Amino acid sequence: MNLTSEISRKKFLKKLAIGAGGMALLGNFGFIFPFKSPNGEIKAIIVDFDKCAGCRTCETACSAYNHKVEINGEIFYGLGNPDLSNIKVWHYNPDVDVPVTCFLCEDTPCIEACPIPPDPITGRKALYRDEIFNTIKCDLDRCIGCEKCSKACREKSGGVIFTNKDTGKPERMCTLCDGEPQCVKYCPYGALQYLSVTPDMQLRNTSPEKIAEILIEKYYHN
Amino acid sequence: MKGYNGILLEIDLTTGQINKKQIREEDIKKYIGGRGLGMKLLYDNLPGPGVDPLSPENPLLFMPGPFSGFPIPFSSRTCVVTKSPRTSSVNKRFEFGSTVSYSNMGGFVGPEIRFAGYDGILIKGKAEKPVYVFIEDDVVEIRDASRYWGMGTDDFDKYFIQDLGDRRFESCYIGPAGENLVPYASVINTAARAAGRGGVGCVMGSKKLKAIVVKGSQIPKVANHKEYLELLEKSRKAFSIDNDDRKFWREQGTTGALKYSSDQGSQAVKNYSEGTFEGIENLATESARKKIWKRDFACFSCALSCKKSGYAKGAYGTMVHDAPEYETGTMLGANLMIDSLEGMAKLIYIADDYGIDIISAGNTIGFLMECYDKKLIDKDFLDGIDLQWGSVDDSIQMLHKIGKMEGIGKLAAQGVKPLAEKIGQGSGEFAIHVKGHELAAWNVPAYEKTGISYTTSNRGACHLNGGETDGQNEIVMMDSLGACAFASNWYKDDLHYRHFLSVLTGIEWTEEEFNKAGERIFNLEKMMNFREGFDKNDDILPERFYKNKFLHGPKEGAIVDREEFDKMMNDYYEARGWDKETSKPTDEKLEELGLGYLI
Repeated sequence: MNLTSEISRKKFLKKLAIGAGGMALLGNFGFIFPFKSPNGEIKAIIVDFDKCAGCRTCETACSAYNHKVEINGEIFYGLGNPDLSNIKVWHYNPDVDVPVTCFLCEDTPCIEACPIPPDPITGRKALYRDEIFNTIKCDLDRCIGCEKCSKACREKSGGVIFTNKDTGKPERMCTLCDGEPQCVKYCPYGALQYLSVTPDMQLRNTSPEKIAEILIEKYYHN
Repeated sequence: MKGYNGILLEIDLTTGQINKKQIREEDIKKYIGGRGLGMKLLYDNLPGPGVDPLSPENPLLFMPGPFSGFPIPFSSRTCVVTKSPRTSSVNKRFEFGSTVSYSNMGGFVGPEIRFAGYDGILIKGKAEKPVYVFIEDDVVEIRDASRYWGMGTDDFDKYFIQDLGDRRFESCYIGPAGENLVPYASVINTAARAAGRGGVGCVMGSKKLKAIVVKGSQIPKVANHKEYLELLEKSRKAFSIDNDDRKFWREQGTTGALKYSSDQGSQAVKNYSEGTFEGIENLATESARKKIWKRDFACFSCALSCKKSGYAKGAYGTMVHDAPEYETGTMLGANLMIDSLEGMAKLIYIADDYGIDIISAGNTIGFLMECYDKKLIDKDFLDGIDLQWGSVDDSIQMLHKIGKMEGIGKLAAQGVKPLAEKIGQGSGEFAIHVKGHELAAWNVPAYEKTGISYTTSNRGACHLNGGETDGQNEIVMMDSLGACAFASNWYKDDLHYRHFLSVLTGIEWTEEEFNKAGERIFNLEKMMNFREGFDKNDDILPERFYKNKFLHGPKEGAIVDREEFDKMMNDYYEARGWDKETSKPTDEKLEELGLGYLI
């Protein structure tokens, strides 16, 4: 088990200890929550594609924060290996660079597709929306590695969910770095922002290919 | 050794053998990586002097540096190292005597080679049929590339990655020019970033190697993780601090130098006969922003984004991957008296699509224009091309001839030195090359230090050499670290490159040792050239600069004083610790630098 899931696991259990008592009471009264809806409005990584220069600093910053390492008992950010990052910058010819990370979709096709029944206490499937930052997380103990979430994301949204090549379990969902997104912090071009999602926002919840098509038309055929 | 993978990926295209060789720690400590380590490996893998550069015996190396792969600012570069198919000496000691060749490219290939677990790739031998090398971490395969042979670099860039089915692969490749063995063919990545000079694409083509494609999932270890993170944070903070220089070069790329150079009389104009171009406004940044540019692009970990892409409209309508830059805008623009922005962009696109060194091509076409103008050659000689000053259409035709090695293209592809030998009639005086390698967009008469850069460069005339030993050694270090010498220049005070190398490796690099490494590598290159037959007689400027005064611009009357320049050269040799009669590094100097094995 890697270090970051250990840390978030501890957080979750802490929350549950507080909530379980309350939930147990509600359970006695016959309440079952079939899914978790977003906790207020959703804030996500919003991309200004006009500004992205494709330098992939976001990938390295994401990777460093979300894959910390332990050295002599101390925890440090990782080195910044882009292979581990959640945000990915996709390059196309004619030249456009399309950074895509989990959109935190309101309708979560990934969770919809998850076949694991909602937990009677928490209401969560194996894949669930965490109420702190509305990010998508996976309970690796309950997940069976069917890869349906990844497929749904590919077909209905950005295709950001990769599956672990050994376990088949989903990875690369944006964590929002505990509320201080590192990609936003370190982008040298100001192309990324951490904003509330509004209905007028364009080029969201869709694949890098589709976004690239639109951008190529915009930049190179006008 | 920390900071490095410690592995050289050796591929023999003749036998199909693939070897993952341990790189000697001593070599890493002395030659760093990139250009430096590439040179040492070139020396180790050449059987001796006089090797035919287009023979299977010529090693071809792709060398990222110790910075490549870490998100250290501006760490995107890869150095392609080989023996040059372009250069030749005055004394022809060997039939194939030529200098070393090195060419840098940006983009993302270098970092990916390091992610895959290697510090470099060495290609030996020659394939029977066109192949490409496939690398995914420890999986390395030589695959059939017949399907792609003949493809322009733009199409290859588009379709190869589609066929591969995984857009996270990075690749570098040659175009038809490299395949046809155009001596100044280049290696291209992302359709326009080039390891342009020194004929590296020609050597790649001689091995029937179309492309290298690579993807990796690892990252090398570092010695001092905590300090590395602190340095990274410190240097990244610099990106949010702007100054005039940073703003200028970020907004304009190297294109900013087009007007600047012309205005100060330092530009290559009309085959170097002038230093200022009347029509420069139309080629320069403001014009490009208005008519062509849509997006700015950066290489891996770069905050400058000097690459400008867009679309040119009109009769010369073309996709613009990266144009104009200073060199390309001058060599296929001002140097040819071409003042059409779109025309110049079209020429650049065609050259990139073939995979041709635009600097050498522009220089060569300018030379032919002058010969034609002076009636030293006629239309017949040029296969019917009416190659007049300022003509875009005829320049386009000439580029096609060169790329295809067709008719006059065969000779034009050799460059200005053989062309002048063929044409004679005194044309040698304005064949603007050193050691057979064409000069670039910075002209000489107004600023003689530029002349030193050209005469003393180890790959033949090179503008990225610097006019002084310290500057030259520093550029060697940038090329060896995998760092971009251009972008990093504007953030020097904030980058702490020497400290980065120390925290990566766990070795404390003093300023003295750091500079010495650059000096060592430069001397290794020089000794390799010397044993090939290159000496003081080859470190000379074209006659034009001593004889032709500028007639226009702020530097009207500019000319190089022969005696003065000779003295500058002697001062240079002295500063280098080299013999003034021969230019050979003294035994003392070699011993001092740990190059005693070359004596």
